[in-house]
Amino acid sequence: MGLLAQGIATGILIGGLYALMSLGISLSWGALKIINLAHFSFILLSAYLVYQITISFGVDPLLTTGVVLPLFFVFGALMQMFFHRFKVDEFKSLIVTFGVFIILQSMMQSIWSADFRTIAPDLNIYRSSSIRIAGVALPIPSLMAFLAAVLIAVAMSVLLSRTYFGKAVRAVAQDAEMARAFGVDTKRVAVLLSGLSAVFSALAGVFIAVGQQIFPGLAVSWFGIVFPVVILGGLGHTVGTLTAGVIVGVAYGVAAVMWAPLAAPLVTFLILIAALLFRPHGLLTSRSVA
Amino acid sequence: MSLLTVTDVSKRFGGVVALDGVSMTMGEGEILGLVGPNGSGKSTLINVLSGFYPTDRGTVVFGGEDTTGAPAHKLAALGIARTYQIPRPFGTMTPRENIAVSYMFGHSRHSLEGARDAAQEWLDFTGLAGVADIGIEELTLHQLKFLELARALATQPNLLLLDEVLAGLNPSEINESVEMIRRIHAQGITILIVEHVVRAVTALSDRLVVLNQGAVIAEGEPEAVMSNPAVVTAYLGDRGRRA
Amino acid sequence: MTGFVVVAIALFLTPAIVKAADMPPFFVIFLFSVFFWVAQASSWNVLTGFSGYFSFGQGAWFGIGVYAVAVLTGKHGWSFIAALPMAGFLALVAGLGLGLVVFRLRRLTGEIFALTTLAIAFVLAALARLVPAIDGGTGIFMTGTPIPEFLGEFNTAMYRMTLTIMLLAVLASYLTYSSRLGWGLFSIRDDESVAGGLGIPVFRYKMIALGINAFFAGLMGGVWSLRIGFVTVDEVFNIRVPLFVILMSVLGGLGHWMGPVVGAVIIFTLSDRLNSAGLTDVNQIIIGSLLVVLALAVKDGIYGRMRDRWLTTLITFFGVMVVTAIFDLTGSLISDFAIAMVTTVVVLMVPDRLWGRIRGRGGPDREEGPPVGIEAMTGSGP
Repeated sequence: MGLLAQGIATGILIGGLYALMSLGISLSWGALKIINLAHFSFILLSAYLVYQITISFGVDPLLTTGVVLPLFFVFGALMQMFFHRFKVDEFKSLIVTFGVFIILQSMMQSIWSADFRTIAPDLNIYRSSSIRIAGVALPIPSLMAFLAAVLIAVAMSVLLSRTYFGKAVRAVAQDAEMARAFGVDTKRVAVLLSGLSAVFSALAGVFIAVGQQIFPGLAVSWFGIVFPVVILGGLGHTVGTLTAGVIVGVAYGVAAVMWAPLAAPLVTFLILIAALLFRPHGLLTSRSVA
Repeated sequence: MSLLTVTDVSKRFGGVVALDGVSMTMGEGEILGLVGPNGSGKSTLINVLSGFYPTDRGTVVFGGEDTTGAPAHKLAALGIARTYQIPRPFGTMTPRENIAVSYMFGHSRHSLEGARDAAQEWLDFTGLAGVADIGIEELTLHQLKFLELARALATQPNLLLLDEVLAGLNPSEINESVEMIRRIHAQGITILIVEHVVRAVTALSDRLVVLNQGAVIAEGEPEAVMSNPAVVTAYLGDRGRRA
Repeated sequence: MTGFVVVAIALFLTPAIVKAADMPPFFVIFLFSVFFWVAQASSWNVLTGFSGYFSFGQGAWFGIGVYAVAVLTGKHGWSFIAALPMAGFLALVAGLGLGLVVFRLRRLTGEIFALTTLAIAFVLAALARLVPAIDGGTGIFMTGTPIPEFLGEFNTAMYRMTLTIMLLAVLASYLTYSSRLGWGLFSIRDDESVAGGLGIPVFRYKMIALGINAFFAGLMGGVWSLRIGFVTVDEVFNIRVPLFVILMSVLGGLGHWMGPVVGAVIIFTLSDRLNSAGLTDVNQIIIGSLLVVLALAVKDGIYGRMRDRWLTTLITFFGVMVVTAIFDLTGSLISDFAIAMVTTVVVLMVPDRLWGRIRGRGGPDREEGPPVGIEAMTGSGP
C-alpha cells in the first residue's frame, strides 16, 4: 500500500511537469493552429543548456532560468515570425516543425553526444532531497515543477480571461480573420504567445535538468506522454492541461510501480485512445482557449 | 405527397438555441424560400437538412424515408444537394474536375470514365465553359458561386438546398443568378432557397417560410408573408411597424 | 501501363546484367535499398499525400512487419515464406484498428491522427521491449532464418523480393491515383466535410488508404528483417523510416504517385553517398534542413516541375552524368548519378518566375498546366 501511495504521490508531482511540458504545444495548437513539434527539442535543449551553464560556471541550476527563459522566449517569437513570413498553414507546420525538431536533435547530439548527462550533486542540491509527508517522499525537483505548473496554470487562466492580451488570444483562437477585422494585431499576439509557449517548455527543461539525467533520446520518449495530456486537457486549456497532466502522471507512476517501468508508455497510450474514444474535446466542455 | 417533411426539429449549441421546434413541408417541384433576420437559424436548418448537424429533437422525412440523423453522404445518395454560403470548391482541382467529382459520387453514381466529358453539360449550363480548366484561385466570386451550383447540380439531386447563394453579388449578378435558379427549377428540381435578398427570394419562391430566433413565425404566399406584421417586426423591430 | 511492364522486366533482369558486366555487387544492394524506400514512400503517400491525413506512423507499420517475421521465424520456427504475409497482415490490422478509433472523430481528426501516429511507434517499441515473447530487450537473430532456394543467393533474393513488393506498392499507388478512389481521396484532402456532402464515403476511403499504407509498409518490413540481421527495438523503431518517407514524398511531390518514387531515388542516393563519405553526423542535420527548406520552397514537389521542364531535366541530368563519367570525376557510377541528380534538382528548384526570365521565353518547356492531377481525367496515362 505504501508503494502505491508513493506511486500516486510521485505521479501527481510528475504530472505537473508533464503539464508544463504540454502547455507550449497546447497553446500554439489551440490559439495559433500550429502544431509545433519543435517544442520537444526546446524542452531538451533548455535542459542541456541548464546543464552546461551550471557545470561551466558552477552556479545553482535554478539561477540559469534568468538566461534560459528569455532566450527561449526569443526562439519562440522568432519561430512564429518565421511561420508568418512563409505563410505556414497547419499541414505544413507539421512538416516544418518536424524538420526543426530533427535539426535541433542532431545538433544536441553532436554537441553533447549520446551519453547520459547529469549535474553533479555538489552543484545540484535539489536532486536527492525530498520532503516527507504522511509517509510519502516528495522529491524536490518534481515538487518544484508541480508548484510551478499550478502557478502558471492559474496565472494563464487569469491572463486569458482578464487581460486585453488574453482576450486577444482567445479572439485569435476562435477566428483570426475576425479578430484582425476588429483591430487585433494578430501577428503581434501570435509572436508573443509563441514566445510565451517556448518559455513554458524551457521551464520544463529546467526542472528536467535538475531532476534527472538527460540524453538525446528523451525528446522522442516524450511524444507518448505529451499528446495524451494535450488531447485530454483540451487545446489551449491551461487548467485542463494541468489536470490531464496529473492524470497521466498518476497513471504513469502507478503503472511503473505496480507493473513495470517499461509498461508506463503503454498505459499513457491507452489513456490517449480512451480520451479519443470518449472525450475528444478534452476534460472541459467549452470549445475555446481558456 | 410531400417530398420533405420536417417535424418539430430543435438544435442547440451549448446555451444557444438555434432551432426551436421547426416544422415545415415541401412539395415536389416547388421552390420554397426560407427567410429571416440574421441569426434566425436559416443556415442551421440547411446544415441539419444536409446532414452536417444531427438534430437534438424532431424528425426529418425525405422521399418517404425517415432520414433523421442520417450522415451527409447518405443524404447525398438519396438526392439532397447543397451549396455553401461561402463557396467551398476543391482547391487543388479545376472547375471541370470539381464538377466531375461531384458527378461521379453524387446521387446518380458514375464511374471515372466519361466524368470529364459529362461535366461539360453543367459547365455550359452555368456559363463556366470558358474557365473550365484553370486554377480555382483565378475565379471571381460570382463564378465560384456558379461553380457551387454546377457542382450541386452534377449530383443530379431531387432536392437542392441553396444557402445564401446571392450574398456578395451585385445587382446584375443577382439577376443572372435568379435566371439560373429559374432554369434549374424548370428541370423539375425541388429547391429550398435560403436568402437574405428579400426581393429576389420573393420573386422566385412559390412559398415562403420565415424564421426568427429558431422558430417559424410565418408561412405562405410571398406577398402575404412579407406584409405580415410579425414578420415586419422581426426584421425591422417595432419602428418598422409604425413606418 | 506498357511502360510499367517494360520497366519491371528491365529491373528483373538487372542483377543478371550486373553480374555479366562484372560490376560490383554493391549495385544490386544499392538498388534493392532504393526499392525498399520507393515502396515505403509510395505507400505512405497514398495516405498522406492523397487524403491529406498526415501520418508519422510509417515506423510503426514497418516495425510490426519486421517483428512479425522475426518473431514467427526466430521464435516459433515458421518458414520465411509463411511468415511474410503475416507481416503485411498484422500491420494492416494495426493500421485499420487505429483508423477505427480516430477516423470517426468529428473534430480535429487530421491533427489527432497525425499525433497519434507519432505516439504509436514509440508505444509499440515499449511493448516490444516489455514483452519477452516479442523481444524483451534481447533482440532477435535473423541470420539463422533460411530463405527459399528458388530466390537465389542472399542479395539476389533480397533484390527479387523488394522489387516485387515495390512494383506492387507503386502499382497500388498508381491505381489509386487514377481511380474513383483517388479522386475521392483528393476531395477529402481538399475539404472533407464538402466531400462527404457530395456523397463520397469518407470513412471507407480513408480506411482503404490507410490499409494500403500499413500493408505495404509491413510487408516490406517483413522482407527487410533479413537485411537487418539482428533485430532490435532501437534498430527498428527509430525515427529514420518515418522521417525519410516524409522527406522523400515532400521532395518528389505529395499529389502524384510518381512523387515519392522520384523523391526516394534522390534522397536515398544522396544519403547513401553522404554515409560513404563518412558524413553520418551531419546527415541528420542536412536532412532536417532539407525538410524545412523543401516544405517551404517547393510547393508541389519536384516531379511536377520535372514534367513541366522536361527538356531541361533531361539535358541537365544526362549532361552531368556524361561529363562526370567521361572525366571520371568520382570513383563510382552511383556518385556520378548522385551529382547529376542533385544538379538537376537544384536547377528545378529555381522558382517559376525567375525561370521564365532566365529562359527568356517567359515560360517553362511546355504550358504550365493546372495542378498535377489532371492526368487521370484526361486518361493520358502515367
